[in-house]
Order: sequence, then structure tokens, then C-alpha cells
Amino acid sequence: MPIAEQGYLHWQGRTAETRRPWRAITRFGVRLSFRRKFFKLTLALSLLPAIVFSVGVYLAETIQHFQVFMGGSRQIVAVNPAFFQTYFTSELLYFMLLMLMILAGTGLIADDLKSGSLQLYFARPLRKRDYLLGKLGITSFFILLLTLVPGTVFILLKIIFSGSFRLLTEHPWLPLSVILYSFFLAVLFSLAVLFVSALSKNRRFAGILLFLIYFGSDIAFGVFDSIFHRPELGWISIRANLKQVGYAVFGGRPPLDVPWIVSAVILAFWAGVAVFFLYRRIQSTEVIR
Amino acid sequence: MTAPAETNIELKGLRFRFGAVQALDGVDLTIGGGACGLLGPNGAGKSTLLRVLLGFLVPDKGEGRVLGHDIRRDPFAIRRLVGYMPENDCLLPGLDAVSFTAYFGELSGMPRREAIKRAHDVLFYVGLGEARYRLLETYSAGMRQRIKLAQALVHDPRLLFLDEPTSNLDPRGRDEILALIKDISSKKDIHVLISSHILSDIEATCSHVVILNKGKVAAQGELEALKQVDFSLFELKIKGEAEPFLDALRASRCRVEETEDGLFKLYVPPEVGRSGVFRAAARTGVQVRHFVQSRTSLEDLFARTVGVD
Repeated sequence: MPIAEQGYLHWQGRTAETRRPWRAITRFGVRLSFRRKFFKLTLALSLLPAIVFSVGVYLAETIQHFQVFMGGSRQIVAVNPAFFQTYFTSELLYFMLLMLMILAGTGLIADDLKSGSLQLYFARPLRKRDYLLGKLGITSFFILLLTLVPGTVFILLKIIFSGSFRLLTEHPWLPLSVILYSFFLAVLFSLAVLFVSALSKNRRFAGILLFLIYFGSDIAFGVFDSIFHRPELGWISIRANLKQVGYAVFGGRPPLDVPWIVSAVILAFWAGVAVFFLYRRIQSTEVIR
Repeated sequence: MTAPAETNIELKGLRFRFGAVQALDGVDLTIGGGACGLLGPNGAGKSTLLRVLLGFLVPDKGEGRVLGHDIRRDPFAIRRLVGYMPENDCLLPGLDAVSFTAYFGELSGMPRREAIKRAHDVLFYVGLGEARYRLLETYSAGMRQRIKLAQALVHDPRLLFLDEPTSNLDPRGRDEILALIKDISSKKDIHVLISSHILSDIEATCSHVVILNKGKVAAQGELEALKQVDFSLFELKIKGEAEPFLDALRASRCRVEETEDGLFKLYVPPEVGRSGVFRAAARTGVQVRHFVQSRTSLEDLFARTVGVD
């Protein structure tokens, strides 16, 4: 193979000093995820519930056109905070988020650890914080695509089809709830997937571990609940805690008869543990003593 | 030692410890322009030194500057100006060479379009032009070294740190990488610091050399000067009892090595000289049958400094 097929040319530009390098990591990671066919298919499937709910908003506002099919029923679905609560706390949404995280997130750090490319990242003007934010941005992008985007679309569709701002005047906090819970899910799922990804150099192992943690905590809750019948046991289930907070954020009554704030604190604690671990685990150089 | 025309790296009393291991033990260094070799046996502290210079590791004591920037206070400014080619594998799977190189250009602070354009340029330069859209996992060992070099060059650094650039390469691949390094350091106004334990690589590419041993600087300076100063190298064969003769030479600070074919290599300090060798032979009753002054190589310097063959 010929060497130096063309001469080396000096670059005349200047490297930026004030930009946020995490954005490059996020952009690159998102682009890379879209190169995988199976991931694209899963993402498309994940958007189905949002499409169904969007159709629901349309039907709710144009019901009079379909009364002939509905046998006189005046309303099949009401677009109110409970509607959003149903979407945001549905088991299907959590499951699809989990699947997306397994496909798009488990390799984010595991692959870098396996390939030894962390030293290349940190040979650049990049902080640990930038690296983690960049990776967090990739998973958050996909989570927000399934939460914040549909939530905003539901509100817009409701306004468009009803021709009024009644939803917002009656529930002015609703957009805030959508934003808050979307980011809440984005941060939690992202930190969870980055945590398991940093535990191993094998993305499959990380995926299995995430699956086990999520469903294992739920199974443990189910088993203990059937023996002791105490709602506090819900605090060991990730899914139950997510639901508790979700119901509270959208103004509903949480399914378990325990304070939802405890669920929020428990999830925040696990998020803190993940951040602490990630900061310890991500090193520019692996020291073999 | 010739004073370097331009000081790229300046270290004073640098110390770094990995647990019980003193990896760097009071390193004082001044490295100028051009290509400089960082030599030393395994565990001498070469890679640790590069990592300290890049700010991956914070030294316990001492101070240092790279291209005028403090290694403790300004590692980001250093990383903007330095390209790093690590020793071990570091390629991201699932990427082609253009995406990989452009990505790291972008992370160095280049605008995305510029990074992509520049990635094409450096990939052609390192000889991967034809293979630039192939997945990295399909690359051979030689191509992997080249892509590592390309990512180190993409942001047009002023200084390159190359950690064992020819490891795992066949002779042809080695020659090609060495030709590239020579071209970069001699014609492209990019200074190069090469860490290696392959002496011939350093000898082929570098004008200056730093020899590290057990975390300390054992020797540093211009290669030619270091090879000549302080000792002469002789090869000799003797007849008679060797041990008393060799002991006598060792007592007068000569270093002696025996080669496989019964030849002795003598590193003789100036105060002893060749006459001192013959006096020792006469004193101990041995006949000198073969006596040739040898040209000192980097291996000789390395062996004398580090004390290994």
C-alpha cells in the first residue's frame, strides 16, 4: 500500500475552545444508532402507542362525525390529565423504553471499555462530565422522542382539533408535567443503562443485567406482596416507583397507598449511586497494579 | 549535550506513584523540536510519562510544561495541541475510518464539516485512502496502526506522542510506519515524541533520545553525541584466564559483555583508554588476540545506561 499518497497539509482553521464537546458525542451516537436496522424497527414499533393515542385525541374531538358508528355514545376518550397519565405510566411505554435502552444504550460505555477507546476521548480537550453528558444525551434523545415529543403532540393536536385552549386554561400545569416527567424518565433510564454499561465490557451482559434489574425488582415486589400484603413493598420495584411518581406528576392518585415522594427519593438515590459509580469507573487510563 | 533549539517539553522533579510502585522518580527533562525517542525497558515509566504529559495522570510532585502549558493547570490546552497515538488497540467497532477520524477531529474542537474533510486528507496521507470506507474491524495490524496515527494527526497537532508505534507490525509495515514518522517529523513541522523499546526504530527516526530506567532519566541528549561521549567501545578476543582480566577491567569502571561467539565487548571510560586495557591484560597474563574499536550503536548506549542486553 503506498504511503503518503498525497502530501500532508496543515489545517488552517482553529479548534474552538468554548464549545460543548458533549454535543458531538450525542450527535455521533444518535447517528450511529440509526445505522442499525433492528434498532430502527424497534424505535418504529415504540412509536405505535403514541400514534394510537394521537388517533385517540383526534377521535375525542371529532366524535360527532363518528356517532353513527358508536351507537350514540357521546365520548369514547377524554383528553385530560388522566389521558396523559395513562400514556406516560403505561407498562408498554416502560417496556419499549427498556428495549430501546438495551439496544441503543448498553454498548455506549461497554464498547468503549472493551475497545480501549476511552484514552482517545480523553486525549482530547474533554472532561469526564462531557463524556458522560454526551452518552446521556444519546439515550435521553430516544427517551424524549417517546415521551416529550408525543406529550407535546397530544397537547397540540387537542388544541388544533378542539379549536380552543381549554385544556391549558383548565390544567395550566399540564405542559410542565409532561416536560418534568419526560425528563425524569430520560434521566433515570439513561443513568440506569449507563450504569450497567459501565459495569462490563460486554454489551450483552449489560443488556441482560438491565433486564434482570427491571423485571427482577418487579418480581420481588410481586412475591413479597403476595406474602405480606404491604404497599410499602412497592418501593423495591422500579416500575412501581416510576408509576407512583408518574401518577403524582399528572395529578392522579398513586396506585399504591404510600407517599409518592418516597418513591421519588428512592429513584433519586439510585440515580445518585449511578452517577457516583460512573464518575469512579470512567478513567482516561486503565491502571494495572 | 546540544541545547534544543525550541523547548517543547520541560519537566522538573516529576514524581508519580502507582500504589507501591514509584513509576516516575524525579524526572528532569528538556525536550526540543524534531523527533525525540523515549527509550527504556518494560516498566521504565515511558507510557506513564506520556500519560502524565497528557494530563491523564496527575503527578504527585514536580512540575512540567508542554508547549508552554502547565501540565497540572492547563491539560486541555495541551490536548488541543498534541496528538496521541496509544500503544494498545483503541478502535471503535462498527465505524469506517472516515467516521472514526472525523469524530475525534470534532472532539478536538474542529467544526464537523472541517473534521470530515480533514479526515479524508489525513487518511490519504497515512495510506488508507482506498480503505477509508471499510469497517475498522476488518483492518489488518498495519492498517490499525495507520488509523491510530490518522486520528492523532486529524486536528493538525504541533506535537505528536506515539506510544510504541510499530508494535505488532511485520517488517514491511514497520518500515512504512517509520517512513511516515520520519516524514512527519522532518518535513511537516510537527514535533514527535516516540516511546519505544525497539532501539532500531528510535535510531531510524530520532535525533534526540531520552532513556528512562526505573522511573528515572538514565540519559538524555542528542543521539550521536550520547553515543560518543564518555566511553569507547572495543571488541576483543583473548587467550588465557579471562576472569582475572575481566575483574581488573571492571575494577577500573569498564563495562564488559560477552557475546555468544566468545567475543568481549568493552565499554571503556576515557581515563582508562585502550592502553589501560592492554595494561590490565599484561598484569593478569592474558594475550589479546583480537582488538577492534567498534562503532557505538544505540543498543550499546542503551545497554551501558540501563544495564541490560
